Amino acid sequence: MKAEARSALAGYGLVAPAVLAAVAFLYIPMAVSAYWSFTDYNGVDAPQWTGLANYSDLAGSDRFHQAFTNTVVFTVVGMSVGPALGLVTALALNQKIRMVGFFRSVYFLPVTTSLVVTGTVWKMLLNENGVLNSALGLFGLPGHAWLADPGTSLLSVTAASVWQGFGFETVVFLAALQSIPKELYDAANVDGAGFWPRFRHVTLPGLRPSIVFVFVFGLIGSFQAFDQMFVMTRGGPVGSTTTLVYYLVERFQELDLGAASAVAYVLFVILAALSYAQLRASRERA
Amino acid sequence: MGRGTRLAGGGLVAVLLALAGCGGGGAGRAEGTITVWDYYGGSTPIKPVIAEFERANPKIKVKYEAYDYDTMREKYATAVGARTAPDLATLDMTWISTYAATGTLADLSKLSGGKINGEPVEGQYARGALAAMKYKGRYVTALYDFDAYALYYRRDIFKKNGIAVPGNWEQFKAAVAKLAATAPSPGKQRFQVLPDTFHFAQFLFQGGGEILNGSGKSAFAGPAGIGALTFYRDLLKSGGVYWGEDQGDTSGMPGIKDGRIAMFLNGPYMMGVLKDGAPEQKGKWAVVPAPVGVQQGSYLGGTGLSIPVTSKHKAAAWKFAQFLLRPEQQLLVAKQAGAAPATTAALNRPELTAPDPYFGGDAPFKVFLAAMTTARPFPYVKNWTDVDKAISDGVTAALLGKKAPDRALGDAAREVDGLREG
Repeated sequence: MKAEARSALAGYGLVAPAVLAAVAFLYIPMAVSAYWSFTDYNGVDAPQWTGLANYSDLAGSDRFHQAFTNTVVFTVVGMSVGPALGLVTALALNQKIRMVGFFRSVYFLPVTTSLVVTGTVWKMLLNENGVLNSALGLFGLPGHAWLADPGTSLLSVTAASVWQGFGFETVVFLAALQSIPKELYDAANVDGAGFWPRFRHVTLPGLRPSIVFVFVFGLIGSFQAFDQMFVMTRGGPVGSTTTLVYYLVERFQELDLGAASAVAYVLFVILAALSYAQLRASRERA
Repeated sequence: MGRGTRLAGGGLVAVLLALAGCGGGGAGRAEGTITVWDYYGGSTPIKPVIAEFERANPKIKVKYEAYDYDTMREKYATAVGARTAPDLATLDMTWISTYAATGTLADLSKLSGGKINGEPVEGQYARGALAAMKYKGRYVTALYDFDAYALYYRRDIFKKNGIAVPGNWEQFKAAVAKLAATAPSPGKQRFQVLPDTFHFAQFLFQGGGEILNGSGKSAFAGPAGIGALTFYRDLLKSGGVYWGEDQGDTSGMPGIKDGRIAMFLNGPYMMGVLKDGAPEQKGKWAVVPAPVGVQQGSYLGGTGLSIPVTSKHKAAAWKFAQFLLRPEQQLLVAKQAGAAPATTAALNRPELTAPDPYFGGDAPFKVFLAAMTTARPFPYVKNWTDVDKAISDGVTAALLGKKAPDRALGDAAREVDGLREG
């Protein structure tokens, strides 16, 4: 018994720092933030309880609706194109081709680069006098203000984000592809299965855990997008690239900490619900 | 999808502010170590004079910290909540409304006793500047440099093409059109059109309009505002270049360097930007008063020296602020940073009214000093940033042809009038 108690005590001692850190820097601030979301608080004066006023303001705010819609569009487009591009690239790199290592490094390189750097580079590519319009001009095609036009700004920022991030999906999918037993493909070949049946019945089931991982991780990342909008468009023009987190930061800059906390909790609930739904769906399929 | 540094929604606000402690404190004695936050960057006129101040005031030490403009805004907001704000900070005048309305700025009326360096505050600034420094009748900042708009134009191009320097709106439109029409290649020699509230306000004020009325409701969408925005849009159509966020910073330096921009409306800080960024264009630029509509007018902004309410060394911080407002230190604002000092004593010094070779022997500071006398600050309301955003989005939509000026401003007015005051 004494040895067991000592062992248990040692166990608690080992996990204590991590638990204390989580409580101090995650759970207590989360609880405080939850409280602030029901108050009018500017960081200086004492918070004034306002009940659901911050949440009802968000529900009636066109700016918040726009930020929410922009975030959804950014997520849907990005999470459709990014993983698809990553999968196609992974399938290509999984073949026996020369310089595979080089190509893997090239595709993964943007992932290691700061979003601020890639955002700046893409801003230079896409501005009205940028490289893209110059290239179009060589073919006699008219240029376009990709980032200055509210109709194309969000998709332009999304394109930059997809480019920056799809190397991550590529590497994840590639690792998963290489872990699928070769015998399964051999068996499928014996059965006379072509490319599509092999992909559908062998590759895709083998990739399922990775796909779930990529989508959960990507979804969380997409809903928290901020850096690229800050660098490329400052949330404009006309709010066309303002995301939920961008909106949150604006509230924070305005010392409207109650509203900022309410936005944070809306975001938290959305992400928790989506992540739970995805994980549950993947378990049911498994 | 991209996965760089993410701002984790709930955690961010909470973590930054959870450690908030107790602060406060009165003015106290003028001694101790004061922390100064400065966003001027490499050309700061503040850092070089610290040693001199410390020699003259041995009981005060200055801990200087430099931040860029954007970082300053983020950091100041965070620091106020966490009670870690500095003792003195350079704050953009457009931020003052929020910080004053939320009670984060010390009452300088009380701290100063109505005097700067022993002289009444009222005698040291122009009327518009004094208005900009007050919130609800109390001084909350001391203007350090000021911003009011005048017209910059390429003197050599105007002369070569026989373009008359515009004095009113009609002539302005004609000059913009002729400038573009005589360009050596398409897209060159344009008037820079910035889609923001600052430039819209230039035309709004000149047209006799105002942004908010006395009760804080929108007033910019009336006939004067619609006329102003329509005129601004027409300038763009006549021969302007739209200068959106994608073009880089608002100074337009890339366009100035490559010949796209030959005329723009901006503040005195652009004198320094031009000299640093385009030394090869020395002698080619001139500055004249902005072409007049119904009346003279400009927004008035700049940099204020502010003392956060949480400072524990307010008296020492105010002493340093006063030191920075002496004429000899104010001259450094022009010499070091290329901006315009705010006090009239400094602006009238011969060093600033002497001919400037970069501007063909003119004395542009005189133009800006005159502009300051009729300039006025943006309204001091708590949610000014939301008002500003609504207006600038309306201006952008009209300039991009997405909405007619009346609809663009009408939509913005509805948004402004629907903002929750608090």
